Amino acid sequence: MEKQMTNKIKVYRAMRNMTQEELANKVDVTRQTIIAIEKNKYVPSLGLAFKIARIFGETIENIFHYEK
Amino acid sequence: MNYQQFKRIKILTTSFVSATVAVAVVYNNIILALAGVIIGMIFLFFVRKKTKIILVDERVQNIAGQAARLTYVILTMTIAFLSLIFLGSGRRMNDINYETLGVILSYTTLFSIALYSLSYKYISKKYGETDDEQD
Repeated sequence: MEKQMTNKIKVYRAMRNMTQEELANKVDVTRQTIIAIEKNKYVPSLGLAFKIARIFGETIENIFHYEK
Repeated sequence: MNYQQFKRIKILTTSFVSATVAVAVVYNNIILALAGVIIGMIFLFFVRKKTKIILVDERVQNIAGQAARLTYVILTMTIAFLSLIFLGSGRRMNDINYETLGVILSYTTLFSIALYSLSYKYISKKYGETDDEQD
């Protein structure tokens, strides 16, 4: 399956010295979900994508990219 | 309590329940087996309630949904296939027991399909499916 959705969560996390566990707790998901999203193995819901973007103070478009 | 600690407690509880059931089987004591299972379930229920960590999120629900659908398809097809075999061999050998088993399995298959359809319809309505025409 081709990867249509990519993201920069790992980059933004590193810029803010945030662990996967900390991000997971802030957006109310498990650490495994953050790992899966970072590896582009799971596409988050719109609600979760908004939550993640707000944690980093960015827009969704800056963090998530849709490639056709 | 973090996720690792919760996982450890879960493994310990499962080991306790398994050991209790094993002892109960050796001593042929059904009450001991039931007590072990119920105590384990209640204990895990309270641990889950008390823990602040997130154990279920949208990804877990997604996986659970897919696993449930796969299980439903495999189980229903297996039961349907077995019912056909039992019905066929029951009629061929003129064995009423096989035939009865086949009929029971056929109804189980139908019940499973009906239950799936009903729950699908209910959940679909919950998430906004409507028969109204578009404007």
